[in-house]
Amino acid sequence: MIAAGGNGRSPGARTLLSVEGLVRHFGGVRAVDGASFTIEEGTISALIGPNGSGKTTTVNLIAGALRPQAGRVAFDGVDIAGRLPHQVAGHRLIRTFQISREFAAMTVLENLMVSPLHQSGERLWNVLFRPGRYRAEERAHLEQALAVLDEFGLYAKRDDYAGNLSGGQKRLLELARAVMAEPRLLLLDEPMAGINPALTDRVAEHVLRLRDAGVTFLLVEHNLEIVERICDHVVVLALGSTLATGTMAELRQDEAVVRAYLTGGGA
Amino acid sequence: MSVVLGYVATLGVYFCIYNIFAFGLNIQFGYAGILDFTVITFMAIGGYIAGVAVLPPEQRGTEIFYVLGWNLPWPIALLLGMVAAGLLGFLIGLVALRRLRSDYLAIVTLASGTIVYDVINNYNKLFDGAAGLVGVPQPYTSVFGVNPNTYTWYFLAVSAVIMLVCWYVANRIYSSPLGRTMRAIREDMDVAEAFGKDAFRVRMLAMVIGCMFVGLGGVLTIAYVSALSPAGWTTGETFVIWAALIVGGKANNWGAVVGSFLVAVLFNEATRFLPAIPGSPNLVSDIRNMCIGGMVIVTLWFRPQGVVPERKARFPQLPVRGATTPVSVAVGATGGAGSAG
Repeated sequence: MIAAGGNGRSPGARTLLSVEGLVRHFGGVRAVDGASFTIEEGTISALIGPNGSGKTTTVNLIAGALRPQAGRVAFDGVDIAGRLPHQVAGHRLIRTFQISREFAAMTVLENLMVSPLHQSGERLWNVLFRPGRYRAEERAHLEQALAVLDEFGLYAKRDDYAGNLSGGQKRLLELARAVMAEPRLLLLDEPMAGINPALTDRVAEHVLRLRDAGVTFLLVEHNLEIVERICDHVVVLALGSTLATGTMAELRQDEAVVRAYLTGGGA
Repeated sequence: MSVVLGYVATLGVYFCIYNIFAFGLNIQFGYAGILDFTVITFMAIGGYIAGVAVLPPEQRGTEIFYVLGWNLPWPIALLLGMVAAGLLGFLIGLVALRRLRSDYLAIVTLASGTIVYDVINNYNKLFDGAAGLVGVPQPYTSVFGVNPNTYTWYFLAVSAVIMLVCWYVANRIYSSPLGRTMRAIREDMDVAEAFGKDAFRVRMLAMVIGCMFVGLGGVLTIAYVSALSPAGWTTGETFVIWAALIVGGKANNWGAVVGSFLVAVLFNEATRFLPAIPGSPNLVSDIRNMCIGGMVIVTLWFRPQGVVPERKARFPQLPVRGATTPVSVAVGATGGAGSAG
């Protein structure tokens, strides 16, 4: 039911994201301590590791929610380390959050309409004096949003408040909303967390479909079976630094990785 | 008869002014979620600046001090008042909006407002300290006639036109992508930023526009009353405007109108015309405040979204491009948040 992933396609493809020696300490806790890895364009990569290995902190550092204390984050050749979240997003590097964070008091459709970057209707001057400037753009966004909702099976829910969706629908909304921003790289922080197996498969299908449409993915994921099924490339973090990289099949043979998972990386 | 009509017209003027205050606060709080706990300060700045702009230069030897005294015509004073209120909002926003949200933001606005209040109240070279500005000429009395009762009707017409312009601008912003982004920031600022929205810029816009609205209301106040002193804009007045918005319904300008009518006009202003009860000079005003407080509690208990709640956004119905059959698999959660990474 799910197309085979891990096909390691187009080796030597362009590097879209490169992380080098990323460091972030919280007091005495070395949450991220020299993590380095690269993500190739058009691939699905996974960031895995035991609890406390710094996966979410790494996502926050890349997305600008936290400032790195050292290290480099290059997105498509541009150094984005230390930029603010909205500046990072402006490069079409979009992230989702570990728990669903929909705009609860807005409708599902509105949640998607917020997403498009650099809307000309967000400029006060245009709003007050040149509404014609964004009317066509708004209509195009509306058509796109309805199409995306249809793809994600949320079309019938378009006029419901996002806060009234079920947990699974909220997960789909998160992904749909991110797609609406036309990302080049999507950072998904545990997209499968807390949803049932049938929905997990659907989310995986969406990810594969979007990859084929040209979106690059970096997933933080605990479900290794899913990782093996859909990810081309896996980065293992332990104690805040990169322990190993490769395909899931390679990593299964790697004793250090297996030990890290069993011991939390301490041994 | 003409006295009763004049009274109704006076209430009408207050209604228009409170509507403008409530629209301003609605843009800040209802749209963008900014807890501005010093709304009335911006009203005062708008009023004072417009007042000293139309007043003649201060007379030496009168012990009445104020700045400017430019003898300007009213329309220019009105713009100056709005700009001054917006500027103060910008300065407070620089401190409050960069890093703070919700209750911390509220504390900073309250503290900033208190500083402004104490400076104006104690430093009498600005707007004559605690005595305040008096005898600010009413606009265009020679054109509209000096009879107070008929003048009130003209003033009501002017305030109504200005209020309608504010209504139009506030609704225009609400239904625009800018308003949508403000509401997204209100719902979840981190997520809005993750979608490329510069929350600082957008919240600052909401702050400054809201302050300009409130400042405009202040200009109308001093133009109508022709006086303004610190006793007239204590912190409590801020919460009358808040009460109006909460009772009426936030994020909906109809709610702001209904709330202004119920709280600000019916309870706050109309009761000012009740006769004082002998022996208890403060009883009427105390009962008034108790009624407003009670109304807020009743609203939050029985109808927390307000009398007129925020409306669902409506979009034109469009056919779906290249529609597929909607997937109707039951989507359910196994519940519970994900484990920490």
